[in-house]
Amino acid sequence: MNTSSRQSILERVRSATETAAPARIAEAYAALPRDYLRQGAMTREACLDLMIERLREYDAEVVETSPEQLLAAIRAQLETSGKRIFAAPEGLPSEWLIPGLDWKVDRGLTTAEIEAAEGVVTAAFCGIADSGTIALHHSPAEGRRVLTLLPDWHLCILRASQVVETLPEYFSRCPKPPALATYISGPSATADIEMTRIKGVHGPRFLHVLLVHDESIFKVAIRQGVDSKSARSTVSDGLPALPGTPDEL
Amino acid sequence: MSSVVPDRVVLDPRFAPPFPQAALPVLRNPQLRKNVAHAIDVIQGKRGKLVAEKTDWQALRTAASAIRSHALENLGAYLEQFEERCTAAGGIVHWAADAGEARSIILDLVRHENANEVIKIKTMTSAEIQLNPFLEANGVNVFETDLAEIILQLGEEEPSHIVVPALHVNRSQVREIFARRMGLKNLSDDPKELTNAARTYLRQKFLTIPTAIGGANSLIAETGSVAVVESEGNGRMCLTLPRTLITLAGIEKVIPRFQDLEVILQLLARSATGERMNPYTSLWTGVMPGDGPQEFHVVLLDNGRSSILAKPKQRQTLKCIRCAACMNACPVYRQTGGHAYGSVYPGPIGAILTPQLMNMEHAQSLPFASSLCGACYEVCPVKINIPEVLLELRSQVVNQERRQAGRIFDPLYLGLRIANFLFAGAGRFHAAQGLGRIGARLFTRKDGWIHSLPSVGAKWTQTRDLRGLPPQNFHEWWAARRKEAK
Repeated sequence: MNTSSRQSILERVRSATETAAPARIAEAYAALPRDYLRQGAMTREACLDLMIERLREYDAEVVETSPEQLLAAIRAQLETSGKRIFAAPEGLPSEWLIPGLDWKVDRGLTTAEIEAAEGVVTAAFCGIADSGTIALHHSPAEGRRVLTLLPDWHLCILRASQVVETLPEYFSRCPKPPALATYISGPSATADIEMTRIKGVHGPRFLHVLLVHDESIFKVAIRQGVDSKSARSTVSDGLPALPGTPDEL
Repeated sequence: MSSVVPDRVVLDPRFAPPFPQAALPVLRNPQLRKNVAHAIDVIQGKRGKLVAEKTDWQALRTAASAIRSHALENLGAYLEQFEERCTAAGGIVHWAADAGEARSIILDLVRHENANEVIKIKTMTSAEIQLNPFLEANGVNVFETDLAEIILQLGEEEPSHIVVPALHVNRSQVREIFARRMGLKNLSDDPKELTNAARTYLRQKFLTIPTAIGGANSLIAETGSVAVVESEGNGRMCLTLPRTLITLAGIEKVIPRFQDLEVILQLLARSATGERMNPYTSLWTGVMPGDGPQEFHVVLLDNGRSSILAKPKQRQTLKCIRCAACMNACPVYRQTGGHAYGSVYPGPIGAILTPQLMNMEHAQSLPFASSLCGACYEVCPVKINIPEVLLELRSQVVNQERRQAGRIFDPLYLGLRIANFLFAGAGRFHAAQGLGRIGARLFTRKDGWIHSLPSVGAKWTQTRDLRGLPPQNFHEWWAARRKEAK
């Protein structure tokens, strides 16, 4: 490395600006205006409806299910996909690996093996309704980055309790910044030729989302007129705890 | 070979012709103008709808502007923090004072890999330093992987927009380029089929070429992470599959914290492509064992940025997040397209960024390539006051010209000096006005309009008519009215 360029660039930068002490910088940063919408105002049901609507606008297929029906829903998705070879992250709950299909569990799969998989099934970290975005933090149940990249068909299992309304709500769900993250808003797309949107360039061309309604107590609470904020803390969970989900945080 | 743009396009500001001259081929090419106008209408329509649904749009702009300004004001500290955190996470940080140094750092890295092929994510910064021709000249085959960049690379075209670089090329032109260069005789001009051709063309390259070069949308000081936004997944391929990843980024790309992305990401896709969010955003931190490239280099590029930073009024240029909303909104860009700017950064942001990156030694015509209507400022997600910077740069260009020998006899400058003298006193002004009215009568036609003026006046009348002066002006009317009242 050429240390003299490092020095000369930093010197030029410092002489161009006022050099402040770290404490002053932190103070100035804390005082930056942030008057934008942080917390959404929708009911949980409206928020989930919005998430579904946005995903469908991206041509993603969304199926709603309950924790009890989840395995049947996964089976139905896989069977109707017309695919046989599926990749799965190592940390995916083993009961999700529906028997009778060719599963490639990622215990160090090669790129060629992943490329040979026709589909992939993963969990997710968070869903953001405002933009229909799925955030992956690549935990053991969400898999390495390449796993959700090469297979053409991606089934993502998202729990209702993971869905937030606004992007800032997602950021406040990150206890510390993730080292790795991928935000997916619909299948890969391009509009480079005459601004015509074409679905599916290099990433998966088909995105399927199973939305698992795991907020049953919460929903009952709303119907009984309980304040939504106190209800939020009593969200129960019909699913076995998954790695990389907010429960763990 | 048939090029979409008939006249040779030069995007090197050192050699490009001045804007009015470079704009002519486009203005005379109806197909090109149609391609540009169509693309812009589509993006603008989508953007308008999505911005309108965001009730906190102005608050987001204010926050983004403040975050970017704060990052620039404390750039030294944040750069060092980024370097420290990125290095701690296994990344290797390089510093390049100028384009030449960046090119040779990258070539050394590629040679160290024994690579004779690289895959690339679209990065305007690499176009700024003219990386591709340099690598090719040194025996490295470069494969662009963004669809628009493939179109340009295979068609030997130049980018005309920073987000949709091939917006000046239409589907039948893309078909012709792909059919010829990929050997696909039976290709149709259906965008879906063309996109599929690109997918097939690149798949093996993604899977086999072990070295990738890309850019950065944000460098996060707090964590040493890099963020890249994209649509197609070619970015994810380049960021995930190769053994070695080289990221080239301008020093101004740094943001203080991970959480700042909650502002930038809400603004960027809406402003750039009229989407609520781009299909893929990737964030990574140094080297992640078992996931992605196991060797990661960041090349931090100055190339004129630190001297822009030193000028308080111009510093805001560096807040830019490269969304291209300003060019989509610009009435001048709409007519001329991007090539007229003679730079990889066209449109209003290019008109202020390019001459500054050139230390005001080239591209001096660009600050004048604007009607100062302010549409660019209005749409800018980080509130860069582009008209203010344009005016500042114009005054610098005029001062440069004034210092040049021979300027004393230039009719324009002579005229302006006379005007300066006349406007300085009311008596002189009224006398000149009277004389001017007599003079203007010589050129005013029966319809009350002046259609052509001689000498410097022709610069005005060659593109527009001028209304003839009325027999009585306001001052005279006012004086006569007061006299009557008495």
